[in-house]
Amino acid sequence: MPTAIVMSDFDLPTRSASGFLLRYIAPRVEPVQLFSILARRLPFQLSAPQSDIIIGTGHGNHTSFTGQNESVILEVGKYNPREVRGKVIKLLSCQTGVELGPDLIKNGAVAFMGYKDDYVWVMDADVALTPWADKLASTSLLPVIDGLNTLLDGKTSQEAFEIEIQGYESNAAVEEEELIKSCLKFNHDNAVLLGDTTARVRQRPKIQIPLPPPPLIIPVSGPI
Amino acid sequence: MSNDWEKVKEALRKQATPEAMQEAAQAFEQYRQVSLTKSSRPTLVNLGKGTGYPNAIPMDQIPDELAKNPHFFNFMKKIVTKE
Repeated sequence: MPTAIVMSDFDLPTRSASGFLLRYIAPRVEPVQLFSILARRLPFQLSAPQSDIIIGTGHGNHTSFTGQNESVILEVGKYNPREVRGKVIKLLSCQTGVELGPDLIKNGAVAFMGYKDDYVWVMDADVALTPWADKLASTSLLPVIDGLNTLLDGKTSQEAFEIEIQGYESNAAVEEEELIKSCLKFNHDNAVLLGDTTARVRQRPKIQIPLPPPPLIIPVSGPI
Repeated sequence: MSNDWEKVKEALRKQATPEAMQEAAQAFEQYRQVSLTKSSRPTLVNLGKGTGYPNAIPMDQIPDELAKNPHFFNFMKKIVTKE
């Protein structure tokens, strides 16, 4: 069974978030992985119905989640319920927990994890070519990765959600920079889990550390 | 919590008037100069869409954005003060 994983990559925040998914999640899930120019509606429509889990990162708002260059992937009232029915969905995106998340649950998704407000973090733009090596960004993004890996270990959505929440708390407790600490608390407070808290997906094989190098990432083009 | 950060929080608690925005900009500049030095180009990023503020802004440009963009002032307000 393939995994629908959407990773847009066209500006600094999508580069940073997708870099962590590419490094720590993509190696343990099956194709099809919708990275960069493939993070669009049509490839998603083809791959999502076959998957038991949908993972995505991209820009979003109350009603929509977008992929490459903000092309709409999921929007309230504008998708086929077959794309989401029976699936656990995690969107690393802004505000999708407000309207889109409840709409996905109403249309048959078993669990949804997202955020009620903006997802914010501090990254180091000088390591944008190797975003997974960004220590600043890792304080916020590794809890997301840990939560997703918990889900892929076959644990429940509630357990995965708690791992992410605890990650923000423990990182905030030791963080010295006040702005980064505020971002961690903000993401912590806005994380939401909707639907069935006992939902699970098929367990994926664990990956061995060190990982092989991720695919080549080209420089971000256009304005940040 | 540093005194510089306290001044940032205090300034962001106010309404987004030109005076408050200027005060927040100066307070953040002071905070930035003594903190956030552990990476070469720290940048505040978010995954919002159509928000009226930048999705990525280097730390050294935050004071200018705070002074001129009320949407960004309110964005920083909700992160920093939870209001």
